[in-house]
Amino acid sequence: MNLIERVVAISRRRSPWICRLNAGSCNGCDIEITPLLSPRYDAEQLGVELHGTPKHADIVLISGTLTLRSREAILDIYAQVPNPKAVVALGSCPASGNVFAGSPLVLSESLDSVVPVDVWVPGCPPRPQAILDGIARAARLLEDGATKSQLQNWQGRLS
Amino acid sequence: MAMLKTILGNLLRPSRTRAPADMPDVPTVYRGALAHDAARCTACGTCAFVCAPKAISFTQDPGVSVSWHFFIGQCSFCGLCAQNCPTQAISLDAEVPTGMNSAAGDGLRLESIVRLQPCTRCGAAHVPLPDAAIAALWGVEEAERGYCPDCRRWAASARLRSAFIPAAAEEVHHER
Ligand code: SF4
Ligand code: SF4
Ligand code: SF4
Repeated sequence: MNLIERVVAISRRRSPWICRLNAGSCNGCDIEITPLLSPRYDAEQLGVELHGTPKHADIVLISGTLTLRSREAILDIYAQVPNPKAVVALGSCPASGNVFAGSPLVLSESLDSVVPVDVWVPGCPPRPQAILDGIARAARLLEDGATKSQLQNWQGRLS
Repeated sequence: MAMLKTILGNLLRPSRTRAPADMPDVPTVYRGALAHDAARCTACGTCAFVCAPKAISFTQDPGVSVSWHFFIGQCSFCGLCAQNCPTQAISLDAEVPTGMNSAAGDGLRLESIVRLQPCTRCGAAHVPLPDAAIAALWGVEEAERGYCPDCRRWAASARLRSAFIPAAAEEVHHER
């Protein structure tokens, strides 16, 4: 890694831009992102900035139960996030389907089977502290080049 | 002057309001991750029955142990399991573990092993009851403490019989 790449990697950790993707959530997880951006928890002190479009994001926060229809949307939006990227799964729903598992049209499986997830934030909904910690972890992984998508790309380049 | 002080302060201090480690305290009544006390658990299965998302499950090693499993990625922190556990073996911590990298699996999984014990009368392996439950349900008769459910029933009916036929009581008491 040369000096410029190193500076870019550090800058990315110090200001990760996030984008939020609701894959069929009850809105509980999404509501918890609002206080995260308020002065009380103040995600911006870590340089976190919420962006509306995946094309500007470094970290995608995915919340909610995966459904047959949202699966396509997740894949579509994930493909639009520029490399390098990290995925943070919020709450119990992406991990298992939570109480909705087994319903028709709900994929009762982990988000990992759709896109590579780097950090899981437990809770239903997770507390803002936990979400902030998840974002900070993902930012650190991005700097180290250790997110799953970065590792896959790296392996792809080698082979 | 006040403005200058603020500007100077911002230059010298990091621009933080609260660092992530210094977050507002979580009220103790908030429901967080589960804790399980194997010594109190009777493996009755009530917690798994009331859990809507099926976060709790059991596996068994016949004759040796019963394992209680919990997967945090499936829990909705409703607290029904703790409320319905007849022996208060489950408690909900106020804390939830923070983010987890997927290298360590997709979340916290707890396994709590309840060891079976041989019955002191017939030797059958059974889940020992917590002392408090034995005292409340079967009195504190020392000999019956280590009994399996079948032998407890046998002892109860033997007591009942001896109340009606006092002579027969001596013969059957703790034979076999
Ligand atoms: S994890 Fe809980 S709060 Fe979040 S979307 Fe699922 S049900 Fe709602
Ligand atoms: S934890 Fe409580 S409810 Fe669950 S099996 Fe054990 S005793 Fe029964
Ligand atoms: S708190 Fe609710 S969802 Fe979680 S294990 Fe207990 S019963 Fe299941």
